[in-house]
Amino acid sequence: MLVCLSAAPSNARAIQAAAWLKEGSHATLTALTVETPAFSSMSEEERRRYQAHLQMAETLGARTATVYGDDPALQVAEYARISGITGVVLAPADLCQSRLGPARGAVDRLRKLAPELDLHLISDRGQPRVGPRRGWSLGLQARISLRDTLRTAAVLAVCTLAGLLLVRLGFAATNAILIYLLGVLGIAMLTDGRGYSLISSLLSVLIFNYFFTYPYFTLLSDPGYLATFAVMFLVALLGSSLTTRVKRQAVQSADRAYRTEVLLETSQKLQKAEGVQSIVSVIDGQLGKLLERDLFLYLVGEDGALQAPLRFSHANGSDWAACFSDDERAAAEWVLAHNKSAGAGTGNLPDRACLYLAVRGTERVLAVVGIDLRESAELGAFEKNLMVAILDECGLALEKEVMRRAKQELEETARQEALRANLLRGISHDLRTPLTSISGNAGILLENGCVLDENKRRALYRSIYDDAMWLIHLVENLLSITRMENGSMKLNIQPELLYDVFQEALSHLDRNAGRHHIELELPDDLLMADMDARLIVQVVINLVNNAVKYTPEGSHILISARAQGDWVLVNVADDGPGVPDGEKKKLFEMFYTLNNTSGDGRRGLGLGLALCKAIVTAHGGRIAVTDNQPKGALFSFTLPVSEVNTHE
Amino acid sequence: MNKPQILVVEDDMAVGNLIATTLETQNYQFHRVKNGAEALLDALSYRPEVMLLDLGLPDMDGIDIIKKIRSWSNMPIIVVSARSEDADKVAALDAGADDYLTKPFSVEELLARLRVALRRVLYDSQKTSDEASTYENGSLKIDYAAGCAYRDGVEIHLTPIEYKLLCLLAKNTGKVLTHNYILNEIWGSQTASDTPSLRVFMATLRKKLEVDPSHPQYIQTHIGVGYRMLRQKQEGES
Repeated sequence: MLVCLSAAPSNARAIQAAAWLKEGSHATLTALTVETPAFSSMSEEERRRYQAHLQMAETLGARTATVYGDDPALQVAEYARISGITGVVLAPADLCQSRLGPARGAVDRLRKLAPELDLHLISDRGQPRVGPRRGWSLGLQARISLRDTLRTAAVLAVCTLAGLLLVRLGFAATNAILIYLLGVLGIAMLTDGRGYSLISSLLSVLIFNYFFTYPYFTLLSDPGYLATFAVMFLVALLGSSLTTRVKRQAVQSADRAYRTEVLLETSQKLQKAEGVQSIVSVIDGQLGKLLERDLFLYLVGEDGALQAPLRFSHANGSDWAACFSDDERAAAEWVLAHNKSAGAGTGNLPDRACLYLAVRGTERVLAVVGIDLRESAELGAFEKNLMVAILDECGLALEKEVMRRAKQELEETARQEALRANLLRGISHDLRTPLTSISGNAGILLENGCVLDENKRRALYRSIYDDAMWLIHLVENLLSITRMENGSMKLNIQPELLYDVFQEALSHLDRNAGRHHIELELPDDLLMADMDARLIVQVVINLVNNAVKYTPEGSHILISARAQGDWVLVNVADDGPGVPDGEKKKLFEMFYTLNNTSGDGRRGLGLGLALCKAIVTAHGGRIAVTDNQPKGALFSFTLPVSEVNTHE
Repeated sequence: MNKPQILVVEDDMAVGNLIATTLETQNYQFHRVKNGAEALLDALSYRPEVMLLDLGLPDMDGIDIIKKIRSWSNMPIIVVSARSEDADKVAALDAGADDYLTKPFSVEELLARLRVALRRVLYDSQKTSDEASTYENGSLKIDYAAGCAYRDGVEIHLTPIEYKLLCLLAKNTGKVLTHNYILNEIWGSQTASDTPSLRVFMATLRKKLEVDPSHPQYIQTHIGVGYRMLRQKQEGES
């Protein structure tokens, strides 16, 4: 459903009728403004009326749109065709802004241009017909400016001098007529408003009469010249109004080009924008360039309330405090609650200093933009329309972003669920083994402790202890990994000496580690990296324990660290059998263990390396496994180096 | 001083039994309580030398117990807790605890920490007023008046900040000092820019102090938490 907006008094009834129709048919309503050349020269009263109509349409839940053109009927037909509109509500006067032709004619034209449209006509009867009459009142109500007056006088004077010169040189006086016509066209081009065209046409006739017709230097003349005067006046007038119109159209098409350009640029920028922050900066950039006023933006948080305002200064010396008073904030909240614009220059809460506009998605308000209007006057229709178009586009982009995030969260939740399920399955299988061993061994000791000899008992104690230790490591890793995975872990990043980290890790190794040769190599024992020490210690423990587990007794394990640009590279190398190429990538996956087939033989949930990867990644570093030379595996990870600045 | 008294505050039966058994094997005298109110009461009535405190008690938070006890007593408090976050450790230590042991702990570790605490008690009880101008710990000696430190009678050359750090650790021997506490005492601030400096100064200080820096005798690092000066065994102590 479409309703045409205009300044005609009957328009209000048309809008009302359209709203009723919309309610009845559950259609969406678009309020269309056709900006014709006459649009910019509306009187104050008409402008106010138009604004009131625009607001009324917005209040009734219409989307507003603006198109530009000379022929409202054609524009309406085009817009309806493109936007898939089936019904149009209008008062015939709405189509007469161009004041070319009678209102009926325009409606007929629309009917002819778009025969498939349902036209709902609202009668103009009983309303003063402002359309056609307005043209003349406009023509006379010219804006007087000193500059334009001087220009007019100067051009006419030059024409007169040129004419006199030609006559003195013996050319016919009729040449002067052409010179004046030229002059009037020039004036039309140089000045604003039709007033000057009309006056200059009249003046040129009078001056021609005064200087070039016998009797010279009087306004009396041969009646034979009357026809000449009349034709001259008409030609001058027509020519000048055509020129004025061309000029207007040039301005209009420049506006349109500007509008298209701004919108295109906006959508390009929005396409590139990723994340709410960059969309907000697009809003800031585009609106700032368009309005050159101070802006602020309230994003709507997940709880549905306004967040703290973001400020964007585009004018000098603004006093932000006034924009964030309780009253102003209440206006922003009103916009959020009602999904309509409010504040200065609107019908809602017009006493506020700022104008508030909703940035909408398809269903709800995603942000509220405030524009500081204290410094300067109300926004023009062109600016306002363009602004609304930009905000609509940004609204859609924001909504897309919100939806993308929601989808991401859903995926994340699904992934976590899968992870949890895997974890439970893995745990229930792998916990049973050590628990069986612990309870079984303890049972034997309880029942038959005195029967067994000392060595047997010691072996059982040892086995209980080892299994318990294994469980402790497992629980430690499990806790860390669940915290890492659900993102609740906050890293406590501090600069730490790698030396301290290695020492700490070495003191927590498996008992079995005693049968391997573990060495430390740290060329600079003051080397520091930014890290959450507890987690990195765990990484090193896991890597070394892994090396211990997968290499035969007596193997060598070398732990080393060195600075490499902005990073610290930590290596844990062994000279065991190494990792087959095919396994290298999978190694860091959760629940992956080497020799997966061996079942009960070697235990391990395959959590250790996955945890290492999660921790190192959370630090911004990378972890990888390569082949050690001449044999064995080399696990290495990076951490950001800390800048040491000791001052005493 | 004969037979030190130890107060064990632990609400979990199994862990309580484990600690009790451990202490029995070492012939320590101890007293077990299961909640905060009893702990405060017994701390007053029994006057134990050392307290082993679980943070998660049924009636009150362990941190509050530490603060209450610190208002009138300087007895070493060793926290034994399942809370393993560094932040929890730091909170307990800043509240005035001397040491922090995370569950699960090994029995040897518990006994070692206990010995450190008892050594401090022993030293404090022997300390007389005229000793305040010097500090002795194993082969380490600090002459506060001269502003010098010695190891085996040989002067250690320290920078002013290293010396200040050493004095701070020495005055709090046996107690884990958190990074923030040290930064506040030495630099008068807790700005992040000083944290790397602290690490470096501690490393250089340790290098000058320790015979074998990879097996420190005096300064213990509690990574992510802080540092501690260990009281060395005195002659005649088993």
